[in-house]
Amino acid sequence: MVPVVISPRYLAYDFGPDHPFTPRRLEMLKSLLEAYGERPLWVEPEPASREDVLKVHAERFVRRVEAASRGEAGADLVHYGLGTGDTPAFPGMDEAARALAGGTLEAVRLVATGKAPRALQLGGGLHHAQYDRASGFCVYNDLAIAIRWALDEGLRVAYVDVDVHHGDGVQWIFYDEPRVLTLSLHESGRYLFPGTGFVHELGRGPAVGTKLNLPLEPFTEDESWIEAFEMVVPRALEHFRPDLVLVQSGADAHHLDPLADLLLTTRAFRHAFTRLLELAEAHAGGRIAFTLGGGYSLDATPRVWALLYFLVQGKTPPEALPEAWRRHWEAVLGEPLTPTLEDPKPEFTIPRRAEIERRNRRTAERLLVLLRDFSPPGKTGSSGSSR
Amino acid sequence: MLVKDVMKRPVITIGPEATLHEAHRLMWEKGIRHLPVVDARGELVGILTDRDIRLATSNLRENPLPCDAKVYEVMTRPVLTADPLDPVEDAARLMREEKIGCLPVLEGKDLVGILTGIDLLDALIVLTGATRPAGRIEVLLPDRPGELTRLTAFFAEKKINIHSVLTYPVADDRVMNVLRVETLEVRPLAEELRARGFEVVWPPEKPWSR
Ligand SMILES: [Zn+2]
Repeated sequence: MVPVVISPRYLAYDFGPDHPFTPRRLEMLKSLLEAYGERPLWVEPEPASREDVLKVHAERFVRRVEAASRGEAGADLVHYGLGTGDTPAFPGMDEAARALAGGTLEAVRLVATGKAPRALQLGGGLHHAQYDRASGFCVYNDLAIAIRWALDEGLRVAYVDVDVHHGDGVQWIFYDEPRVLTLSLHESGRYLFPGTGFVHELGRGPAVGTKLNLPLEPFTEDESWIEAFEMVVPRALEHFRPDLVLVQSGADAHHLDPLADLLLTTRAFRHAFTRLLELAEAHAGGRIAFTLGGGYSLDATPRVWALLYFLVQGKTPPEALPEAWRRHWEAVLGEPLTPTLEDPKPEFTIPRRAEIERRNRRTAERLLVLLRDFSPPGKTGSSGSSR
Repeated sequence: MLVKDVMKRPVITIGPEATLHEAHRLMWEKGIRHLPVVDARGELVGILTDRDIRLATSNLRENPLPCDAKVYEVMTRPVLTADPLDPVEDAARLMREEKIGCLPVLEGKDLVGILTGIDLLDALIVLTGATRPAGRIEVLLPDRPGELTRLTAFFAEKKINIHSVLTYPVADDRVMNVLRVETLEVRPLAEELRARGFEVVWPPEKPWSR
């Protein structure tokens, strides 16, 4: 059975009632799995230690998080991305962020040590957190902390990010590191936060060719997203041959998401999760861990992640949502919820559809051409070049 | 943005008595296309481009100059220059009007830098890009006093930092404002701006979301 990592401490990562990154998403997901009668192997992780955090983040930043966590309002917090509209300080934020990082560490450790073939961490995915700065709802970069641990164990890690936002924090933290492949599919930074993640961001020095970005057009739909995924992801994983795959499974590329502009349905997510499991089997000895991430539609997000849960467990996802669960949450949220786990076929009217598909295809082609130019086949640490 | 913020230094120069062959080799080695010509007293006396050399020595010409011709025979003068404190846009306009590829930058009589078309492209990238994590929002404002203040006050009220603003006039006496704001929540902000009567161009409304 695939272990599912979760802790009640995760619920303390809470920026307040009106903030989109709400722990309610986790409550909905956990109760949904329970309503389905699922009884997986729950694993409660230890929080990451201060030392774990310092392997990725600057101490001056960690000291600011600790101060903010104690309720001390330093004037310079804002230089560290704290106390802003997006990432307000709250009491206990250091402990809560370390709890999430501990879960991602645990999931990666379970898989790396062979205790579990794969693992699912029901939290984390805070991919925007930078070396010395909180950013975009993210305080500590749980993904980078877990990757750093794996590197110290001598492992090569492929990081795949399907969140609608560019996985900038993970990319910049490992920008010089040839043993980490980062691969992010996202809405183009020309329009969306954080404004980076262009194809020419390929890594630095010995790591050139190990940082891959697929910036997609606003209003991209399932077919075009899947096409871009298939053009790049299998080739990159095959060429990089990681020891372990870590996936940030943000659900905010869904068309119901209030913060972004891609138009995916559960179909694209199902495709991505299924293929990543297959590709990990083919190129990483099956070792793969998934975290959550962004996802701000309370209708779509729990469904995307429940789908992830069933696929990771190797189970066939059920069609309907449990009636009682849906009625309960419709009453709590005061709005109707989609009655099926997967989306009904949507009807979008997109005037630029052909142009969007063409531009996305060209982006994937440009990335492949750049890779051919920058990473000669067989070079250590290179990846993704089409042979 | 001023010339001194984008110019390159130190400047690679050549003397007026050097040969075209030497000048050509220097350009080739350094990967540059423009050489300010500086005399023994350190004063700027001309400018030499790779194009000047090619045209002067071309066999297609009636009397092509030999490779050992002197730089002063070919260089252009007087030289158009910029001051380090000139706004970048003034320098760009001058280069555009005169159809020239570079401006040596003089502080008094001292040559302190050089500005080329490539540096202006760099400036454009900085002006339109984001160097810190930020989202993009585009708002059309009427071209009249107080409008931009109204817009920026909205972000101040939300405690959201504006990382950069790019504005340019469009038709009908209106001004397009492209803001890079340090937040993930551009969509909800756009809705609120619309509710307050602003014309938000990006992000557009999603008719299909509920
Ligand atoms: Zn996101």
